[in-house]
Amino acid sequence: MELFNAFVVSLQSVWTGSGFATFTGGHAIMIGVGLVLLYMAFVKEFEPLLLGPIAFGCILANFPGTGFLEEPGLMQAIHYGIANEIFPPLIFLGIGAMTDFGPLLARPVVLLLGAAAQIGVFVALVGAMLLGFNVQEAGAIGIIGGADGPTAIYLSIQMAPHLLGAIAVAAYSYMSLVPLIQPPIMKLLTSQKEREVQMEQLRPVTKFERVMFPIVATILISLLLPPIAALLGMLMLGNLFRESGVTDRLSDTAQNSLCNIVTIFLATGTGMTMSAESFLVPQTLLIICLGLVAFAAGTAGGVLFGKIMCRLSGWKINPLIGSAGVSAVPMAARVSQMVGMKAKPGNYLLMHAMGPNVAGVIGTAVAAGTMLAMLK
Amino acid sequence: MSQPVTTNPFIIMLINMTVVFLVLIALGVVINLIHYFDPTKPKAKPEEAPAPAPAPAVKAAPEPVKEEGLTPEVVAVIAAAVASFGYGPGAIKAIRPIDRNGWKQSGRAMGMDRTV
Repeated sequence: MELFNAFVVSLQSVWTGSGFATFTGGHAIMIGVGLVLLYMAFVKEFEPLLLGPIAFGCILANFPGTGFLEEPGLMQAIHYGIANEIFPPLIFLGIGAMTDFGPLLARPVVLLLGAAAQIGVFVALVGAMLLGFNVQEAGAIGIIGGADGPTAIYLSIQMAPHLLGAIAVAAYSYMSLVPLIQPPIMKLLTSQKEREVQMEQLRPVTKFERVMFPIVATILISLLLPPIAALLGMLMLGNLFRESGVTDRLSDTAQNSLCNIVTIFLATGTGMTMSAESFLVPQTLLIICLGLVAFAAGTAGGVLFGKIMCRLSGWKINPLIGSAGVSAVPMAARVSQMVGMKAKPGNYLLMHAMGPNVAGVIGTAVAAGTMLAMLK
Repeated sequence: MSQPVTTNPFIIMLINMTVVFLVLIALGVVINLIHYFDPTKPKAKPEEAPAPAPAPAVKAAPEPVKEEGLTPEVVAVIAAAVASFGYGPGAIKAIRPIDRNGWKQSGRAMGMDRTV
């Protein structure tokens, strides 16, 4: 009998210590959300490299009693890297090493398209404030319109860490949906004649220009906006590795191994912020809706400014490249190419759209820096 | 967290968009300055001297026979593929689609399978 009692007590303690004892409906729903995101990532291939680990992190975050964030260990280390803004600048190092600023250097006027497309950020900010979010939360939500995951995470951590999960999921989901969201807006705002504009060949860019640009841009932007010095500095350092021609090993590591490792940590850690308590709130739905508004407004802003530039340049700039100003590198540039080719077969806009596309990355970081300086 | 400068969303929008435009315009100026001071950029070509008398025409390679309906892109791709094996454009005598007879195609495919 004594043996039986000991057995029952042991079983009871195993049960009370298990996740099942404190498992709630909210946890079940969030695991369901994680499974849906996994399906979108691996079956539908919506940004699988990022959405996959985010989804798995979401599932892990909803097992009760794991003590991931309370006890020292891998999960706490990953959380530390996110909470202290370590991972987004490291991702930017890799992005910098992968980015070719050549099209931007060859035609710097397209920087204006990268600036105009940031209107989506601020339209969403206004919308969020009208819906009752405070100014810091609205700024973090608005940055979804920048279509730049690391910048969105960087800003959210500093201005509204409790919304990080929803903002990251909205940003990456819409980035993967760029080929569906942008074309109808681009077609609606442009005429057939505008879509058929053929752009002139870009001038060749010298190595001197390619090397000097990241150095001078870092000095200029870091002095103007110190809050984003880490983000922009790493982007430009990565680009310098690529362009210098003597640091191939560093460039290779930054754009492959390091970027992949940090992506795993950043995405898994972001998913782990999606606990039922912080995600299952009405605000999440509003954030997802505002994210869509931000993307649409950014696309429209870029295209409309592209139309102005088209007229001012004497029909030498195709307005379709304006939509690439929302970042989402290189997907948004590919969409410009796709819509341009549909309007006029043989009209290759990809390289022309890469200019506003990388300008959009810088523009989003500048918008984030301005908001951090003003609103934090 | 310190107190924000303003909480009026429209003023925030106006100020931020102005700053974004100004910073990117400044970056554009920097790019132009780098290009202007670039010591490695190719120098502008001097006035072209009057063209010398035309040299006696070299006998050009015979124009390859091109089948009707082939687009210039397809011809360019085929010429590039031939060039990648070390042959010049003169090596191409004609470009024409092979007979699309299904039986012959099937026979060719089987023959290629056996050789692999």
